[in-house]
Formats: sequence, structure tokens, C-alpha cells
Amino acid sequence: MKRTGYLYDDRYQDHDTGSEHPESADRLATIHANLRSAGLLDWLIPIRATRADIRWLHAVHPPHYIRRFEEVCLSGNSCFDFPDNQMCVSTYDTAFLAVGGVIETARRIMADEMDNAFCAIRPPGHHAEADLAMGFCYFNNVAIAARYLQQAHGIQRVAIIDIDVHHGNGTQHIFEDDPTVFYYSIHEHPSFSFPGSGRDFERGTGPGEGFTKNSLVLPGQGDDTYKTLIQQDLLPAMEMFKPEFILVSCGFDAHEADDMADIELSRDGYIWVMKTILQLADQYTHSRIISVLEGGYCLEWLGKLAVDHVRVLLEG
Amino acid sequence: MFVSRSMVSQVITITKEASIFEAKEKMDAHAIRHLPVVDPDNRLIGIVTDRDLRSAMPYAMFKNGATAEEREQLARLTVGDIMTSNPMTIPPDYTIQDALLLIQKKRVGAFPVVDSNGYLKGILSVRDLLRAFINVLGIHEPGTLLCIEVEEKVGQLKKIVDAITEENISFGSVLVARTWDKGKRAVFPYLLTNNVARIKKKLSAMGYRLIDPMEWYIDTLPKTEK
Ligand SMILES: [Zn+2]
Repeated sequence: MKRTGYLYDDRYQDHDTGSEHPESADRLATIHANLRSAGLLDWLIPIRATRADIRWLHAVHPPHYIRRFEEVCLSGNSCFDFPDNQMCVSTYDTAFLAVGGVIETARRIMADEMDNAFCAIRPPGHHAEADLAMGFCYFNNVAIAARYLQQAHGIQRVAIIDIDVHHGNGTQHIFEDDPTVFYYSIHEHPSFSFPGSGRDFERGTGPGEGFTKNSLVLPGQGDDTYKTLIQQDLLPAMEMFKPEFILVSCGFDAHEADDMADIELSRDGYIWVMKTILQLADQYTHSRIISVLEGGYCLEWLGKLAVDHVRVLLEG
Repeated sequence: MFVSRSMVSQVITITKEASIFEAKEKMDAHAIRHLPVVDPDNRLIGIVTDRDLRSAMPYAMFKNGATAEEREQLARLTVGDIMTSNPMTIPPDYTIQDALLLIQKKRVGAFPVVDSNGYLKGILSVRDLLRAFINVLGIHEPGTLLCIEVEEKVGQLKKIVDAITEENISFGSVLVARTWDKGKRAVFPYLLTNNVARIKKKLSAMGYRLIDPMEWYIDTLPKTEK
């Protein structure tokens, strides 16, 4: 049994994307309700949102980007950089709470108050570039957490494992020339799915060459392909890299019922993937692992998938 | 869509009097494979390619440089001796489409771009054409590709474009291709969004078939000419 933290805060629902946007507040509501009715809240260590110290954002995002985001948001504009990025006046603050919550989670794990954690946050982060909001993402939560772990706690090597069905272009680009952060992503083939990056030949640049790995899943494929690719690509990469901390960009949109993409990962497939990642954490990182919510848009399944996910974190 | 916008204008050139070693060094230094040969007024008189050089030099020499004697022997060989005179050229007002069709037909790697007075204006290589084509596809921007099967009749594309526009989604590109079914077309809109679930549902509700991505293919040009 692991000591598992759970970051959730009602304020994460304040980021209003308008009616009919898939990245809605209902996503968190259903996750939270499902965890409660499964009786899991009693077992989890609650973590509340805190506002991030801006210096940690600066580790990833240039000040001019943060200022631009603040200005556009407070001016009442309903979108930022791309029409995909619908927002309201609270979005900027909510994004700070999302980053701050993940940092607080990392702090508490480093203080040995817990082994691992699931962060049910909004807005998501892995599409956010250093200076560009993309694909419903504004601040790259996971990237900032990686820098926080390195700079505040002296962690040398952080592995980011991105299981969202889309490629985390922002995360890859932020770390692509950095050999201290390994970025692994398994996603739908970029010729068929957003954002069109994360091709097989993208393997890092300069000193970071060999520290980025993309596993591509063709439309219609599911559990078997995930098992093959994770065993063939992720396990040897972690064996080589030997991470001291694992961050998971956890998207539930590879599920077969999710129509944002064409991948058919089942509920059991998701459990297998997460168990495998947990074994990596046991092997390399003293079980230290934070799973951070990215995508996942099928409200009917999202809660069930989150329940399974948290159970794996608890049971190890 | 004109060649003049996609070509390389700062052309690395050589004179016909230059030695073939000089040509080789120039190609290596700039990582290029085609050197237009010009007269002192920058009028095109020929082209020399890495293949021409390779045929002129013994393999070992090409790979490892040359010894002094070998060098001397080949030193008298000039670019003028091995170049292709009067190469196939294109004018700056050719379109990208012209160049694509011609490059397929002629099987060359690059065209010197020459104005009506014979002056060299640029060079257009397969690489430049590919860059232009990537732009046309829109795939340098983040987006999602769909494939929709439609009946081959008037107004279909408009309905699809309207439906997508109503959802406030911008287009990176739209390709239309033949399909394996007679009387059907495949429409490939490249949409600059992550948010495709709704538009997919909407198009299905309008009676269009969204083709399984594993069945997509883009038809090739008729393979008539060799
Ligand atoms: Zn996603």
C-alpha cells in the first residue's frame, strides 16, 4: 500500500471554457464524484491548490508570455493564441493554481509525506509551449514541476511519461535539448491527430539527443500495441536513463470511448500502462511519482478511468 | 505560388575555368549538390552536379581527397569540361505546380531559374519544392486531419466547408482525392484545432461517412509518362 496524495480543488472548475467545449469543468466534477463514490477519498491524502510562486513559472515560460496571458485574460478576451483556447477572466488565476498545486504535491513528496499522487487539475499543460498557448493548455504544469524538482530539491534526472493520446509538443520542445529530462510520449500517429508533432524521428537535439522518445500508435490500435511499444521503447529508455523522479502526463483520451482521437485503449489497458509505470517508479525513483491530468473528454468514462488510476497508485 | 518566391536567390555559382576540385570543395562547404556555372555577367552557361564530379574523379579520390600527383593529373580538368551545357532551366514566373510536374517528368534534382535574358536568378531544388508543399498542406501548424467520403456531385465541398466554418475552426488545407469507389471523392480537411469531436459528430449527422483513418490514401497522378 502506497501513501497516495490527491490534488483537487473546486477552484479548478473556475476556468470556464464556455458551453460545448470538451475541456470543461464537468471533467473534474465527474472525476471527483467518482473517486468519492468509490470510497477512495478516505484513503487518499488531500492536497489543496496553492498559487504558484511566479519564479517557478519563469523556469519554463518567459515573463513576456506570462504578462501577455494575464493581459489577454483580464481584458475579458474569450480566447488566447488559438480559438481552441477558450477562457474566462478566472483562467489566468486558475492556471496559477494548477501549477502551484502540482508544485505543492512535489514538495510534499520530497518531504516524504507521501509516495505518489494524482493531480486532478485544469487547465491541462502538455501542449503549452514556452511562449505559446495551444490545445487547451496555458502553462506547462508538468514541465514546471520538473524544473522545480531539479532546482528546489536537487533532483538530477526527471522522466516525463506522457500517456495522453496527443503528443505533448510543449513538453518535448521545452526539454528537447536537455539530457537531464527524458521525455517519453506514446500517442496517436501525428499524421492523423493533433498537433502533428511527435514523429518517430524526433529524438532530441544537441546534448538532448537520445533523451526524447516517441511511440506512435496507428488509428484503431489499442491494448496490444501499447503493451508492445511500452515494453520495446519505454522500459529500455528508463533502464538507460535511470530517473530519480517520474512525472506522468496523464490523458484519458486514448480510451476507446473518447472521440477526440481514434485509439482504442481499454480500461484494462489503462490499468496495465499505469501499473507498468508504477513498477518503473519502484525500480528507479523510490516510488516517487506524480500523475498530472491532461486530456480525457468522455464524461461517461473519465471518472471510472480515474478511479482505476488512483487504485493503481494506492496499491502499487 | 510562383517559383521566384520559393527558390534560393543567393545562389552559390562557379565559373567554367574553375578546377573540379574547387567545385567539389564548394559543394562540400555549402552542402549542396548542384552548382550553376555562370559567365562573368552571371549569365547561366551550364550546371555541374555531384554526380558529374563523381564520374570525373576516381572513387578513392572523391572520398579521401587526392595526392599531389593525382591532383596535378586532374588539375587541368575544369568545370567547363564536365558540366552539362544548356541545362534545363525554368523562368521565375513558373508556378510551383509547373515545377512539380516538370521535376517529375525530367527527373532532375534542381532547376536553375533564369530570366528571359539568360541571367541566373535563383535555383529551385526538390528540397525547396518539398518545403513549399509542406506549406500547402499546412502541416507546419498544429492541427488534425479528417477524411470524409462524399458523392462526386456539385456542392458537397461547400457544405463541408460551411459546416466546419460554423464551428469556428480554421483550415490548414483541404485536399480532395479520388477514392477506390467510383463516383466518390475523399475530402481531407486539415483543421487547425485539437477539438474535432464535435465536428466529426456533426458531419456524420449530415450523412457524410468519416473514413477509417487506416483506409485513407491519396491517389497518385496517372502514371502515363515515363
Ligand atoms: Zn489529449
